[in-house]
Amino acid sequence: MDRAGFLSIVLHTHLPFVRHPEHEHFLEERWLYEAMTETYIPLLERFQRLCDDRVPFRITMSFTPPLLAMLADELLQERYLRHLDNLIELTQKEIERTRWLPPFHRLALFYHHRFTTARRLFVDVYHRNLVQGFRELADRGVLEPIASGATHGFLPLLDVHQPSVRAQVAVGVQAFEQAFGRKPVGFWLPECGYHPGHDAVLRDHGIRYFLTDAHGVLFGSPRPKYGVFAPAISPSGVAAFARDLESSKSVWSAEEGYPGDFEYREFYRDVGYDLDYEYVRPHLNGDGSRLNTGVKYYRITGKTDDKQPYDPDRALNKAAEHAGNFLFNRQQQIQHLRGVMDRAPLIVSPYDAELFGHWWFEGPDWLEFLIRKVHHDQQTFSLVAPSDYFRHYPTNQVLQPSMSTWGSGGYNDVWVNGTNDWIYRHLHKMAERMTETANAFPQADPLRRRVLNQMAREVLLAQSSDWAFILKTQTHTAYAYRRIHDHLARFSALHDASRQSDINELWLSGIESRDNLFPSIDYRVYAT
Amino acid sequence: MARRASSRRGSARPKRRKLSTLVSSLRDTAASAVRRAARVAKGKSPRPPTAAPAQPGRSSKPPLPPLTRTSVVKKPARRPSFRASRPPASAKPAARTAGSTPAQRRSVVRKPSRGPTVQRAVKKFAERRRQPRVAGTPSARPKGTRASRFAAPGTLVPAEAPRRQAAATPPMTGGGAPLAADPEPSFSIPTGYGDDHIVLMVKDPWWIYAYWEIQQGTERAARAQLLPHEAADLKTVLRVYDVTGVDFPAQSAHRSVDIALSGLAMSWYIETNAPGRSFIVEIGLLANNGRFILLARSNRVTAPRFGPSEIIDEAWMTTDEQFWQLFGAAAGFGAGSSRSAALNLSPHQLLSSGWSSSGLYGLQKPPTVRGFWCRVNTDVVIHGATEPKSTVTVQGHPVEVRKDGTFGLRLTLPEGSQTVGIEVTSPDGRRSQAMMPVFAFAWSGALAPQAQAQERA
Repeated sequence: MDRAGFLSIVLHTHLPFVRHPEHEHFLEERWLYEAMTETYIPLLERFQRLCDDRVPFRITMSFTPPLLAMLADELLQERYLRHLDNLIELTQKEIERTRWLPPFHRLALFYHHRFTTARRLFVDVYHRNLVQGFRELADRGVLEPIASGATHGFLPLLDVHQPSVRAQVAVGVQAFEQAFGRKPVGFWLPECGYHPGHDAVLRDHGIRYFLTDAHGVLFGSPRPKYGVFAPAISPSGVAAFARDLESSKSVWSAEEGYPGDFEYREFYRDVGYDLDYEYVRPHLNGDGSRLNTGVKYYRITGKTDDKQPYDPDRALNKAAEHAGNFLFNRQQQIQHLRGVMDRAPLIVSPYDAELFGHWWFEGPDWLEFLIRKVHHDQQTFSLVAPSDYFRHYPTNQVLQPSMSTWGSGGYNDVWVNGTNDWIYRHLHKMAERMTETANAFPQADPLRRRVLNQMAREVLLAQSSDWAFILKTQTHTAYAYRRIHDHLARFSALHDASRQSDINELWLSGIESRDNLFPSIDYRVYAT
Repeated sequence: MARRASSRRGSARPKRRKLSTLVSSLRDTAASAVRRAARVAKGKSPRPPTAAPAQPGRSSKPPLPPLTRTSVVKKPARRPSFRASRPPASAKPAARTAGSTPAQRRSVVRKPSRGPTVQRAVKKFAERRRQPRVAGTPSARPKGTRASRFAAPGTLVPAEAPRRQAAATPPMTGGGAPLAADPEPSFSIPTGYGDDHIVLMVKDPWWIYAYWEIQQGTERAARAQLLPHEAADLKTVLRVYDVTGVDFPAQSAHRSVDIALSGLAMSWYIETNAPGRSFIVEIGLLANNGRFILLARSNRVTAPRFGPSEIIDEAWMTTDEQFWQLFGAAAGFGAGSSRSAALNLSPHQLLSSGWSSSGLYGLQKPPTVRGFWCRVNTDVVIHGATEPKSTVTVQGHPVEVRKDGTFGLRLTLPEGSQTVGIEVTSPDGRRSQAMMPVFAFAWSGALAPQAQAQERA
């Protein structure tokens, strides 16, 4: 073994299921489009470029089924193209408008190029399905894709009803297998929410490892010999890889983190808000309220509202500098740890993928620089996927990890507090009824089976951790409330229908066409 | 050729104006910006967030009130036990009571039977004993339609369900073909499901959360077991058992604590302050002589340990010093942090971070130094028409001429005076050109609050 240590970067991709065929334009669908333009396509493009340049690397990404389903959905692909064409049109207008303002003119050209490139990649290279792009990277061995909960249900608070936990895992794994044509080796516990015992559920579905926050392992029992710098084997035999906080902080932290650098692009200044209303109106959503278009001309500048024009070259230099800084810090950290430990340490750095590109515009560039530097500029450590670690150290300490999440406070506070605790009596009851119904119909006729499968979809969609999170942050509260309401309503109606002799098929098809993910779900996953 | 100046706040000024007029109008904008800032400081949003919930027109449904029925009633419940050292994330809900929607208020008055406070429960109960209860006063009773479709047929919301009924009520969709319509519009989230149960969840190492539902019939049946003299000082209590390592109720618990409930509570945050311990909670009636009548018993939960385990595996031997060195590194203190610093670490240093967002809606805008700011820009809109197939250039750049010969261009001008040149060439090469001087405003700036206040003075 020639390296003193390992670094594992894990990007967690997830979006709630925000497909709304019932409306021509739907605000929350833009979450998907923005993430595609700003995060998924730029990451794919950079990983592809690294492959073309024969830079060896390993990166781990988790994919949740709602995101996989939306990326593969024809309606959303069509709408994404419409969204992208609209942005390209906006940048064309901007190129003309800014002709006398050189810094802005340059940025208009810059965005025009980005959007046309995204369109070309989306249509010509990935044939509208970005999952294909990730799958190819997985087949080439640079990407280790891992699974996650069916709808990102927050498992510690679903623990009361075990079939819920099992269904989240089983359906998540199944959706992963369909998208990637392979069994997942790893599993991203939504919000890193670990509850003792859930490792056994993961084992039952063939999972070999999951990720936790630092204290999941540090507070495990017995005491972990290597802290978070080696995996811990949970009682069921599934490994827990814990997050390293030092490397997390340098990217996440609002004060000390890289993304707040003054050279980087300012997220909160957007032509959607800045320009004359009539001029930007065609590029806003259906209702005409101002919004972020994605065309942003300013850099963070400082703690002021008087922002200065963004300079992509300077920002790129800064990203390279930050990548160098990150590399240096990891070298120092690994050398220090190597002195304390009797084996090579593993640093696990998990991040939300959408941080890269969407919030931190230069994030994908930073990542590409980092990967290149790890390969070219140093010999201290190498990039690995968590599963690679076992080739070096197959024997690891067994311990019981501690309940933990990566949310603020480290436990369940974010998902159960005065703003959102009321949802659990409904989520639990819904799942209970699902199990009762599944037990009542071990062999349903085809039409009833469709009703029962749709009930299972509604249960899963209501369990998405996003709703509790949004209620907590008070950002899109009405939407989150509405989603819980609507899934409860559909479930309730389906539950009534499941016990009737004549089922209105047209009505059922209507619901199926809205919440259309998990095409091959089997409601019996809820049976006991 | 029209000329436009626009500030970001959207006051378009179509005509040329004297500088003084513009400055005064800028000052107005400034004043309104200040008022805006003041609103911001009070916590109101200056403009709707990027994706304001339920924008009119976006959805076909009216925006739903962000109501939660439980949070209103449970507020007072958690008061007594807050620890000063851990500012609770739950301060918010108290503020929400003020803005509660009619639906919330209704849900409060809907449960008159339990009385608003524990202290008054005595009197109330005495009264109740005298007059046989009629399950709520007429005014407190919702108009009969509130029973939920989610609830099983025949199951009503708790306040009005004397007992689970066997007779099936018709499905709420009404009519003979009930399931042809969209289920969402007629649905409202039920307050209960006709159960008698209590469910326990872990919030963090120090707090657990319980929600419950007890039918009035169940409670009445429990009261009926009491002798008249026992009922005098009757309380509804949560009995919190520490059942760590114990097969409760077959074996007895290590200890228990009673929490007297306010009559309206449907959920409770319980400060156990005992990381690593297991709990079961019972809800029941407590008579003045100590007799406890069980209404429902919860599931068992175990709060996580807080801090490193005391157990050390011999096969994976580690000393305190080694562990804390790695712990310090894990907590983000970096390489080379001194040994003593590592030994003084507290487990809390790991946790306050929350370095995670959630997807695309998670992050909050970072604070900036607030003060007056403004931006002014001038756009010119050049438009015209000529023979089809002519070419038009502005400042030497070709402009698209549409099939009908019209053309249009919008340019944002830099500050000061400049000359705009336009040249039109006919298909057979004849040429016409014009030069036009224009003067434009373009300015942006921000003042710190102090400087701005001085200026106003």
